[in-house]
Amino acid sequence: MFIEYTWLIPAIPLIMFVIVGLLAKGDNNRGGGLAILGALATLVISVLVVYEFLTGDAYATEGFVTESIKWFSIGGYEITLGYYVDGLTCIMLLFSTFISLLIFVYSMGYMDDQGKRKSRYYAEISLFLAGMTGLIVANNYLMMFVFWEVMGLCSYLLIGFWSFNHPQGDEASDNAASAAKKAFLVTRLGDASFMAGLFVLLYAFQSLDFTEVFNVAAIGNVDHNLIVIATLLLFGGAIGKSAQFPLQDWLPDAMAGPTTVSALIHAATMVKAGVYLVARSFPLFTQSAEVMLFVGLIGGITAILAASMALANNNIKKVLAFSTISQLGYMFMALGAGGYLMALGMNNSDPALMALGGLGYTAGVFHMLNHAFFKAQLFLGSGSVIHSTGTEDMREMGGLGKKMKSTSITMMIGSLSIAGFPFFSGFWSKDLILDTVLNASKYGSEGYLFAIVWILGIITVLMTAFYMFRMWYMTFGGPEGPATETCHGESPKSMTVPLWLLAIFAFGSGFLLLFGLDGIITIDAANGFLVGTLAGEGALYWVEHMLTNPYTYLSIGLALIGIFVAYLMYSRFAVNPGKFNKEGTSWLYRALENRWWFPQFYDWVSWTFGYKVGKTVNAFDQKVVDGAVNGLASAVVESGESGKYMQTGNVGNYASVVMLGMSVIFVGALLFIYYMGGM
Amino acid sequence: MIPIEFFLMFAAILFVIGIYGIMTKNNAIVVLMCIEMVLNAANINLVTFAAYNGAIMGQVFVLFTVAVAACEVAVGIAIMLNVYKVKKTTVIDDLTELRW
Repeated sequence: MFIEYTWLIPAIPLIMFVIVGLLAKGDNNRGGGLAILGALATLVISVLVVYEFLTGDAYATEGFVTESIKWFSIGGYEITLGYYVDGLTCIMLLFSTFISLLIFVYSMGYMDDQGKRKSRYYAEISLFLAGMTGLIVANNYLMMFVFWEVMGLCSYLLIGFWSFNHPQGDEASDNAASAAKKAFLVTRLGDASFMAGLFVLLYAFQSLDFTEVFNVAAIGNVDHNLIVIATLLLFGGAIGKSAQFPLQDWLPDAMAGPTTVSALIHAATMVKAGVYLVARSFPLFTQSAEVMLFVGLIGGITAILAASMALANNNIKKVLAFSTISQLGYMFMALGAGGYLMALGMNNSDPALMALGGLGYTAGVFHMLNHAFFKAQLFLGSGSVIHSTGTEDMREMGGLGKKMKSTSITMMIGSLSIAGFPFFSGFWSKDLILDTVLNASKYGSEGYLFAIVWILGIITVLMTAFYMFRMWYMTFGGPEGPATETCHGESPKSMTVPLWLLAIFAFGSGFLLLFGLDGIITIDAANGFLVGTLAGEGALYWVEHMLTNPYTYLSIGLALIGIFVAYLMYSRFAVNPGKFNKEGTSWLYRALENRWWFPQFYDWVSWTFGYKVGKTVNAFDQKVVDGAVNGLASAVVESGESGKYMQTGNVGNYASVVMLGMSVIFVGALLFIYYMGGM
Repeated sequence: MIPIEFFLMFAAILFVIGIYGIMTKNNAIVVLMCIEMVLNAANINLVTFAAYNGAIMGQVFVLFTVAVAACEVAVGIAIMLNVYKVKKTTVIDDLTELRW
């Protein structure tokens, strides 16, 4: 009844993009109103679709509903355009449209002083929402790729929103422009890999439709190595989009955009697309335990690397950016460990292992859901702080807690959630992830690598708790900084109401696990990769599972230590943090401050390889290609130059030449006829 | 009956005279007249073959040629008139503007 209208979910924001982009003019909030209306309609339709799907018949039997029309065909390949709704789609749709709506509402307050540029902003965020929802409901990889690229474009436009007339001056404008370029180019590297993966898939399966590609029989018929190549290439796309090691460096720079855009990119859209891609392609990824091991390793490395960089950063938004990268690492960790177990289980026909693998999938997607809420909350909270103080440097803040009550309390909730404080949402999913990774380390010949990943993950728990509360205490606790004294106080209602709503979810979304959410976002390899078997374990099982696991207490303990150390250092000032880094001169501190020299590494790679290759190609173009073209042209010019003297202008000469030619042809014809022996 | 060679020889002579005139004469009017001679040489050939082969098409064709030739002369002379207005000459050797 509603599910046939799933196509409206990306279509409505797309239409709003056109309407707002073309028609909304001037310094008013009409554009914002339209964008919010579009997001609201999208949310309502999403809820209706999800409700109908989860209560419908198809859910229990096939596990998905899909419908498509022919888009175009190339040779024998037919590409379709349609929607594909299953458990994963439902979860993604709900949180991304809901959070986008809240961010749009929040933007009404945050972007209120932007004058005529507001319309452009609202048009672009509408397109962003269209890109994400289109990606989620796509029924084939090509359609997914198109919306993936739409998001890439929107991230470029929005990160560079202040490329002109930045409120903080020209330097910030240049910074925004180069950050936008960096985001676009670095993710482009992943996009190219994604596209190559599509080619391999199309070659292997003769189709890009999910129903064809995820078919167990079809997967069995395809060369195993092709699937390995295809999944590695697809994961390359995910690395770029989700800012994983070694392409993580664009995300902190992307903080140059408005904070609402950061929230949109980090919580509801963009970076979630990479995780979604891997989760969506799980039937393919689980064909090889090695690929999943690679995914898990990348996740683990990214988690700890990004968390370490957050320790030494003084920019409130950049700390959050690093935490996003780190949390995305957790998600890939979970998917990698789960897929590893599932791949082993399928090889050995061991249903228990497959079920454990399904738990990893649940953990990864669940963490994505929880992360969406608490990260949206944290970003919007930091936006509220920046809006009020006019600076992003935490050293100038401090003591804001008294002036901005709502913001500080909601950000406390978000920070507790991301730190994994018991019963906050982050706690449930993070411990599920660590549990899965630990399980994975017990099986298979390469399992010991997952033990390393687990250690990385558990250290990251400590770091996460520390840097989040370092941020909180530096901003809201301690004595008042210079920016605090001049701040405008609490932000308007349109900003605090979304903050509170998100804080409620950031606290409570973990409890969804107790109501059978794990049955909706699990995957069952034994039944043809059925997503969502409805076989949720339910409330008591998870409480018992978590509380009887000794490692849960380890991670809780580490989180508490992290929070306590941050409290000592930045609120009580009982411990001087400078003692540990020789007042900012130790090499480790400098490495963290310089993001492990990743920006320099990028520059070095671009200058040595990119620039030199570019120069060589340029030389080839100028010398060989241009040489051939110019040579041909000058040959024509030269021959014309020398031949032009035949044009005397004297009609008699022309007539003579014509006659001569005629005679030659005539005599030639006669000779030919004679030679051939008559007519 | 007069043998066909006489007519063909006559046409050939007329043709060659015309060509000679086109190539050598310096007066545009004379050149135009020579072009007419070449045309008429062709016409004679057409009529001759038509008569000797009993095919009426050739004679019909000549009628067309005559009409076209009349137009062509009209255009040619009009051009020369205009050239004369501008350059005050019809000597071909002096009319060599259109060259390299």
